Amino acid sequence: MAFISSGYNPEKPMQDRITDIGPQHFTKFLPPIIAKNKGAWDYHEIIEPGMLMHVGLSGDKVFTVRCGGARLMSITNIREICDIADKYCGGHLRFTTRNNIEFMVSTLEEAKALKADLNGRKHTAGSHKFPVGGTGAGVTNIVHTQGWVHCHTPATDASGTVKATMDVVFEEFTNMRLPAPVRISMACCLNMCGAVHCSDIAILGIHRKPPIIDNENLDNVCEVPLAVAACPTGAIRPTKIELGGKQVNTVAVKQERCMFCGNCYTMCPAMPLSDKDGDGIALMVGGKISNRITKPAFSKVVVPFIPNEPPRWPTLTKTIKKILDTYAKDAHKYERLGDWANRIGWERFFEKCELEFSHHLIDDFRDPAYYTWRQTTQFKF
Amino acid sequence: MAFLEYKGKKFEVDEDGFLLKFEEWSPEWVEYIKESEGIPTITENHQKVIDFLQDYYKKNGIAPMVRILSKITGYKLKEIYELFPSGPGKGACKMAGLPKPTGCV
Repeated sequence: MAFISSGYNPEKPMQDRITDIGPQHFTKFLPPIIAKNKGAWDYHEIIEPGMLMHVGLSGDKVFTVRCGGARLMSITNIREICDIADKYCGGHLRFTTRNNIEFMVSTLEEAKALKADLNGRKHTAGSHKFPVGGTGAGVTNIVHTQGWVHCHTPATDASGTVKATMDVVFEEFTNMRLPAPVRISMACCLNMCGAVHCSDIAILGIHRKPPIIDNENLDNVCEVPLAVAACPTGAIRPTKIELGGKQVNTVAVKQERCMFCGNCYTMCPAMPLSDKDGDGIALMVGGKISNRITKPAFSKVVVPFIPNEPPRWPTLTKTIKKILDTYAKDAHKYERLGDWANRIGWERFFEKCELEFSHHLIDDFRDPAYYTWRQTTQFKF
Repeated sequence: MAFLEYKGKKFEVDEDGFLLKFEEWSPEWVEYIKESEGIPTITENHQKVIDFLQDYYKKNGIAPMVRILSKITGYKLKEIYELFPSGPGKGACKMAGLPKPTGCV
């Protein structure tokens, strides 16, 4: 398309420049009934999966219908969401912190009609566009990252693994039959953008090979001290080498100290490390962020490596399903996945979920690793 | 990678317009790049920032932290933005011929 100016003048970039205005104030977009009852809610109920009712002290009721979103969306998709909001909700809607979409109406009949409409909408290939669910003790949306769609440090894909996983656990999205909510999160490298470190089940992209060093260009495109300081295990040191009869500054990586975190590549473009066969996924479980009954907890690694198997990642989804089903069958009511594993003991967790325990799972990172070992005789055979 | 020519000098740059080789920097580079950085004329103040960045990079192998840049040059961050509208990283470092900032930027 030919260039169409927005009115910005590249000759005078600072002219008519508007800055530091921040986001719009949320009150501009509140549905009238929410604005009226703000700060004066009495109680709420989950009417059925995906449908909430909040009752205000004034007696006003708001019905919320929650539906899944793919997070990565086209404008066409967003326009359809707007059309639905125009039709049922006076043009109002909101997105949740897990990227679900919520439509709010004022009567149960409207909510039921809306739910039926949402569940009836499908993409040409057959997927639900707006599956209703994600409430109560079920599996809600997967918090995830960029993957191969946009990032340059991923070890796996985000949208692909998430679609494959949600397909396998879809029944739990539209039901509330688990002991407690199960939060699944996904991050495509161990920068862990998002929530993998504090989720019931976490999918994490990992590398298994050290970086390849582009000696020719390294000193030109990298600030060498930053690459050295980026390494958590001190595996990188600055060095000089002879290249084409010329001395060049570069770095050397002590391979046996490298654990393939990729931090150095983040700082230095001349140290790429992604690898088709080396890269894959680690699974972690047992994290949570709420204070309910037990304190918040980090998730722990339980599967050190699952290969990347695009486009459906069958081994990954099978393992997740197995963990989820075992937890659903075995845990007490209100028990989060980590609470359950802590109660029965991790040796039982591995036994019940039929996961292999390997030496990769034993913490060996600095002094705190010691506290993860067992300093007691209390264990089950 | 693309090559640029300006006043008889050749510069190898990446897609963001950063010099690929610090040694290829010359005063012509500043002349060439200033327009795309929204700077009409290079003043003494601009030069002071550029000179400091280059000295620091030659000495330490890294670009200075913003607070160090401010402290040594005496320009508050606000003033640095007035000099270089794209900021100390995209603006000043690019003009000084330093490598492109990395990390989660």
